[in-house]
Amino acid sequence: MSAHWEDLPARAQSRAREGVRDLFMGVRFACTGGREGWTRMLLTAVGVGLGVALLLLTAAVPNVLAARHQREEARLNYTYSQENVPRADNTLVIADADTSYHGKDIRGRLVEPEGPRAPLAPGLTKYPALGEMVVSPALRELLASEDGKLLRERLPYRVVGTIGESGLIGPRELAYYAGAENLAARINGWQAARITEFGDPDPTSEPKDPVLLLLVTVVFVVLLMPVAVFIGAAVRFGGEQRDRRLAALRLVGSDIWMTRRIAAGEALAGALLGLVFGTVFFLIGRQFAGSVEVLGISVFPGYLDPSPVLAALVAVAVPAAAVLVTLLALRKVAIEPLGVVRTAKPPRRRLWWRLLLPLGGLVLLYPMLGQGRTHGPFNQFLVVCGVALLLVGVTALLPWVVETVVARLGGGGVSWQLAVRRLQLNSGTAARLVNGIAVAVAGAIALQMLFTGVESDYIRHSENDLLRAQMQVNVPEGVPLAAAAEKLSATRGVRQAIALSGTDAGDRPWNDERPPDPLVQVTIGDCDSLRQVARLPSCRDGDVFTLKGADHESADADTAKLAEPGRRLHLNASAEEPARQAVWTVPAGLKSARSVKDPTGVRRGGFLLTPAAAPAKLLSQGGGAVFLRIDPSVPDAPEHVRNTAARVDPLTVTTLWSSSERTKQFASLRTGTLIGSICVLLLIGASLLVSQLEQLRERKKLLAALVAFGTRRRTLSLSVLWQTAVPVALGLLLASAVGLALGAVLLGMANTPVAVDWGNVLAMAGIGAGVVLAVTLLSLPPLLRLMRPDGLRTE
Amino acid sequence: MTAPVPGALLTAENLRKTYGPTVALDGAGLSLHPGEIVAVMGPSGSGKSTLLHCLAGIVTPDSGSITYDGHELTAMSDSRRSALRRSEFGFVFQFGQLVPELTCVENVALPLRLNGTPRKEAERTALAWMERLEVADLRGKRPGEVSGGQGQRVAVARALVTGPRVLFADEPTGALDSLNGERVMELLTEAARSSNAAVVLVTHEARVAAYSDREIVVRDGKSRDMERAV
Repeated sequence: MSAHWEDLPARAQSRAREGVRDLFMGVRFACTGGREGWTRMLLTAVGVGLGVALLLLTAAVPNVLAARHQREEARLNYTYSQENVPRADNTLVIADADTSYHGKDIRGRLVEPEGPRAPLAPGLTKYPALGEMVVSPALRELLASEDGKLLRERLPYRVVGTIGESGLIGPRELAYYAGAENLAARINGWQAARITEFGDPDPTSEPKDPVLLLLVTVVFVVLLMPVAVFIGAAVRFGGEQRDRRLAALRLVGSDIWMTRRIAAGEALAGALLGLVFGTVFFLIGRQFAGSVEVLGISVFPGYLDPSPVLAALVAVAVPAAAVLVTLLALRKVAIEPLGVVRTAKPPRRRLWWRLLLPLGGLVLLYPMLGQGRTHGPFNQFLVVCGVALLLVGVTALLPWVVETVVARLGGGGVSWQLAVRRLQLNSGTAARLVNGIAVAVAGAIALQMLFTGVESDYIRHSENDLLRAQMQVNVPEGVPLAAAAEKLSATRGVRQAIALSGTDAGDRPWNDERPPDPLVQVTIGDCDSLRQVARLPSCRDGDVFTLKGADHESADADTAKLAEPGRRLHLNASAEEPARQAVWTVPAGLKSARSVKDPTGVRRGGFLLTPAAAPAKLLSQGGGAVFLRIDPSVPDAPEHVRNTAARVDPLTVTTLWSSSERTKQFASLRTGTLIGSICVLLLIGASLLVSQLEQLRERKKLLAALVAFGTRRRTLSLSVLWQTAVPVALGLLLASAVGLALGAVLLGMANTPVAVDWGNVLAMAGIGAGVVLAVTLLSLPPLLRLMRPDGLRTE
Repeated sequence: MTAPVPGALLTAENLRKTYGPTVALDGAGLSLHPGEIVAVMGPSGSGKSTLLHCLAGIVTPDSGSITYDGHELTAMSDSRRSALRRSEFGFVFQFGQLVPELTCVENVALPLRLNGTPRKEAERTALAWMERLEVADLRGKRPGEVSGGQGQRVAVARALVTGPRVLFADEPTGALDSLNGERVMELLTEAARSSNAAVVLVTHEARVAAYSDREIVVRDGKSRDMERAV
């Protein structure tokens, strides 16, 4: 007995040696297995490689975000400052002159260095002189293209240089720096400033909104789970051929465990080659990344550096998963010396342990229900594990669901019978085919629910009346509004221009100790424009109106207090510079008008002044807003407007109105999710196609024989379609149920009422079904080829 | 070369077929009368299976003529030839080629169902044929659960269930031991004769060919009628 125990370490060592030897033998078989073996290994390697490439891409995402953030911070010209920086040889006056062209944002800056030591913006070697500009490579390309014709009119500067990589956040970013003069006069504390350095003076990390972080976490899990499922499927590519080969090994004396280890070794070879392929795919994709732009985001290849820890995790986890999946898969296959015993009906699947996975997920997420934003960040470990368990639950439950349902199916035509019987005999393969799609759809439904549920928190619904105006041009101070409005009105595609300028009126000028009280709004515009603000009884130039019915509760009473004919009021009373203030005497013959919603949805209060009634000093200061009604039938009307606005003054701010606006982070996350989902669905579609073709190739001889005795090709094609459609339908049903449950739990965690957008659910399920349908259609030509009589030839 | 024979149900003349550089048939021919059992013999790679595939309308020859019941087979569309195979021909292959997911009775009933026979009726007829071939007790089993000999008898039942006028058997005993092979051949020929089906039997075994009425030898793509040669 004691000798037995003493021998134990030696025996364990010997077993370990045997295990490693078998694994290596498997690797060798995979490499030297002839054309068939190579094909199998290549299929696995390409499949695993695609998965690995996607994982590496994901591992690079934190770096991409950090790099973009750093570049963005480094080039920031902080204009929001009340600090008065004196002119010196190290100052630069810089003004934001952003624009957009055909839906793409263009970052523009007007610059005027005030001395030789003026700070140089990242990516520049020197500043352009007046009438010159330095542009990003993508903008240079756009300006040179036929498509950039209208933009050339807007940016009439001579291109004298290119912004280097350090000054851009992406290779496709559109940006320019243009030389300007007299910018110092335009310093206004928000658009133009005098700076001594670039970069955020008060850098802050990204806001830690718990719900947004929850979304980010769930997005990662939801996108990566199908990739994991895909890798699991990829290491099983060509499994049936391999099993037949393993049977031959059994014949020459290999035991069951040796056979399994050899099989695992083969999978390991495929996975290792897959790692190499994945790295190569990733590196190729990385180079390619610089030249593509997806949904407005482009990335420099240099940003795509996977985090070393995550990359190492991928390198270890993928081969380990390959070995594990193979060993698990072979548990149900009895490889006997005379062949593979899988054709006999397998034992029925058990439900209980399959239910434990999603239930476990729910248990992990349960404590976080109702947490919302107010109780700090969510426990990321619990979120990741909970969501992953729920999604893995789909892959565990689906084979049971498919088996249970198809066992009850019967009747129908020959194609239906062939399909159903095949599913009854081996539903596992079909379920595995659909697993990836089901997990992706379940995750997507949950994410969509969460996105839709919390969307209202991240969307600003605009009150703008899009029927009355579709664009707004803010004319900066110093530029005469009437002239600007006239030019804009004459622009191609503009139907109407409403020009309004505004200021305030108080009983005394601004004084910190005794500010004017009351202070009311003053709107200046011609009669047509003022009719957009109030219901006027009659109007001619020189009229003044007092407004009633303003949004602001006290405005009507305040106006009444000040509206005494002969009273001297101070206009621009809140302006800090006394020079900009004007004194105005309330005239006799004031008219009363009822306020209506202006184009921005606001009911104004105070006074309405026609130009002849306004002090000339005030009018000469210029500035204001022009609201434009656009003729949608005129092509590029918004671009013509922007061009006119830029001609009026490069610092005009032109906005194309929309009914709502998403916050930047929320919009980026949604965009990122969409990009990720597209990649995942393409990957799963590719995996499905490979598996489907492999299945068909396995049945080549049978298909040819069936055709030989007269089976219509349509019957066989339909049978293949049913074989896919039944598990897909069941998979999507299950995915919808799990997705809805997960979505409800996540919304519960975000403390948001649970609401289901059935259109979204149907769309997600429809996209999943669409991928499967596309794969089935793509597999039809090979199917028809396999049904040729050549399949009967044995020589 | 085989000359046309009056009263023949199936006649092939001067068939040529190549697969890439390989010449499979080089002027082969054959004639088959109703109810006649003809063995096509020859070594591996001689072209006998290709000849069978051409005769059955599975493969179209590059040149030559095949006449079935007065109709030129090579001029028929693929769908017409498929219909012919469904209704007039039956097939037995070396490995049975039963559909693994269907039960034995469903396999036998399959050709009838492809012809539009209702399921129950098709399975009733199939069972009758299975009884004749002594495999009725396997009705609920799947092909993976029966022996090679049993599977081959199921395949014979499937080939005969539609009452074909010609049965094409490609090495039907090639994967069986001699005892099982002989039993399959006895049952096949008995059943064929009782239903007046002609049989084209491809084999390289003289023992199997002995069940035929006449032998054709194929060598290097050329055929030779042994009876006429004598």
